Amino acid sequence: MQLQYFLLLAAAVFCIGIYGLITSRNAVRVLMSIELLLNAVNLNLMAFSNFLDPLAIKGQVFTVFVITVAAAEAAVGLAIILAIYRNRDTVDMEQFNLLKW
Amino acid sequence: MMEFLIQSVWLVPCYALIGGLLAVPWSPGIIRRTGPRPAGYVNFIMTFLAFLHSVLSLPATWHQPPQQIFIPWLNTAGLDLTIAIEVSSVSVAALVVITGINLLAQVYGFGYMEMDWGWARFYSLLGLFEAGLCALALCNSLFFSYVILEILTLGTYLLVGLWFSQPLVVTGARDAFLTKRVGDLFLLMGVLALLPLAGTWNFTELAEWAATANVDLKVITPIGLALIAGPMGKCAQFPLHLWLDEAMEGPIPSTILRNSVVVVSGAWVLIKLQPVLALSPIVMSVLVGIGAVTAVGGSLIAIAQIDIKRCLSYSVSAYMGLVFIAVGTQQDEAALLLVLTHAVAAALLVMSTGAIVWNSITQDVTLLGGLWSRRPVSGIAFIVGTLGLIGFPPLGSFWALLKLASALWETQPWLVGVIIVVNALTAFSLTREFSLVFGGKPKQMSERSPEIHWPMALPMVILLAFTLHLPLVLQSLALLPSWEMLNKDVALLLIWSSIFGCSISGVIYLGNAIAKPVRLPWKGLQDLIAYDFYTPNLYRLSIVFSVDIISKVTDIVDRFVVDGIVNLVGLISIFGGEGLKYSTSGQTQFYAFTVLLGVGLFGVLMSWQFWGDQFLDLMYSYISVILNS
Repeated sequence: MQLQYFLLLAAAVFCIGIYGLITSRNAVRVLMSIELLLNAVNLNLMAFSNFLDPLAIKGQVFTVFVITVAAAEAAVGLAIILAIYRNRDTVDMEQFNLLKW
Repeated sequence: MMEFLIQSVWLVPCYALIGGLLAVPWSPGIIRRTGPRPAGYVNFIMTFLAFLHSVLSLPATWHQPPQQIFIPWLNTAGLDLTIAIEVSSVSVAALVVITGINLLAQVYGFGYMEMDWGWARFYSLLGLFEAGLCALALCNSLFFSYVILEILTLGTYLLVGLWFSQPLVVTGARDAFLTKRVGDLFLLMGVLALLPLAGTWNFTELAEWAATANVDLKVITPIGLALIAGPMGKCAQFPLHLWLDEAMEGPIPSTILRNSVVVVSGAWVLIKLQPVLALSPIVMSVLVGIGAVTAVGGSLIAIAQIDIKRCLSYSVSAYMGLVFIAVGTQQDEAALLLVLTHAVAAALLVMSTGAIVWNSITQDVTLLGGLWSRRPVSGIAFIVGTLGLIGFPPLGSFWALLKLASALWETQPWLVGVIIVVNALTAFSLTREFSLVFGGKPKQMSERSPEIHWPMALPMVILLAFTLHLPLVLQSLALLPSWEMLNKDVALLLIWSSIFGCSISGVIYLGNAIAKPVRLPWKGLQDLIAYDFYTPNLYRLSIVFSVDIISKVTDIVDRFVVDGIVNLVGLISIFGGEGLKYSTSGQTQFYAFTVLLGVGLFGVLMSWQFWGDQFLDLMYSYISVILNS
């Protein structure tokens, strides 16, 4: 159980999240990928606070905030997707390219 | 008084120039009330003043050493350009001839241009011409002579193009300008190249320098050849002779001036440059060669022309060729005498033909005829002009030709042959023209062709009288060569060649024994002469063609290569923009990807120094391990 393993795991999750964020066509899956990214960040914060700062544990406080913000962001994101879906009848990310050249 | 006249002789060109400027207000649209005629009268008065001034100062210069007047003009950076004026008997005599002939030409113009609307332009140009010629006669500096020659070139262009609504006039003016420009361009090269050698542009100092100069023949020969190129263009010598023929499209009063004194402007500079040219024997032989070819060729072409004015223009080229021969054999005095006698006789001939052109329907000599009974004055003027031009004693040119020929008799006898041939041919061609125009019976075109009115007749008669009295004038000025010094054989040969030419031509063209138009047995030869030795075609095929091709190629290079490169830059920008805009895909995910990619690259770049080298070493060792295994 070393810090590096946590960090590598978090980086792997982050990469998977990025991959999903860029390649998925479904808007809900994009939101889910963002959640993965945030979770990878949370893992990092927790690991650092445990291994480097076990007394003040500022990282854990940060993590609580990140979870809170993630919940808020997911709520707003889903609301936006719903609004778009009502107008355009789809959640395909490739259809949302009104601002091209 | 005399001293004052001589000191102020530089005013003579100024009179003419002021006259020319004063004529401008009578252009159409400025002064309407009086009509254009006062322009001519003002110029006449100013030219008369100039004539009076030069005639009065002529006796004061006689048997006096030449006086130099210097007017500082530009002195900068070690270059001293001072306008040098030489007042000698020769230059003042030239002033008298120029202003005198111009005075007569202007009076002639009163009659000739009677119905024309272009008086103001015409007379101001005549004034400009006269000013330029007078300034050239006085100028003692090669550099300023060049400047004046250019002004005269411009004057020729404007005067020939006076009736600019006709296409032939426009091409004639253009050709006259361009041909002279070619000569002048070479002349400028020579003028500029001469300065570092001689250190001066003053003709007198140039002659002194040339007397003792020791220059490399390889250097002085090209300079000499460049220096004679300008006079070649001015004097209408082969191969720059075509312009004089085309310049005949201009009005006759300016032709009088051009045929008698303007073509001489080149010969004048040539005579003044003779000491410099004599430094190189090649230049001298080229001069003689050009002169001989032009003299014989020009007089042959003159015989085959049917246009009354063009017949004369080629005789002028031929006589200028004789002047070239005289300069090329260092016979300066003979050249000057020839120039003087030719100027008077040629002016008279042009006046006479101008009288015919003025109120006959055609200029074609084959369509004219039988004018002797209707136009006695013009006819007599033509006869006297002819006799004055060819070697016919006791009139002017006989003495000039005799002087030239007897000087060459011992040294270059073949040139005497050329002179005699040219004399006979000129006699033939002028007699032919006279016979066709004045002899025979009136033809359809010449039935209604009365004698001219007094403004044209008066100057003609005055010049006629002067031509007849020219030997007396020359004798009183002690300019005639002394009889004892001259070669009697040459004199006899000259007289015989004149009689021979005149009589053969008279028999052919006055009699009915030979059918007209005269056909030579060899049609090719006749065409060759009639079409000016095909020189226009030659020019069209060589120079005009190559310039045309070169300008087209240059145009293509300019249009496609030079412009193309610049346009390519613009095109690349446009297509770059057009292509790059597709990166704005509107896809949020694509933007996220590019942002991450950019940030990632930036991060790698910023932190490269901390791990890059180790990373590369690691990669290298892995690769070598893989390759070795």
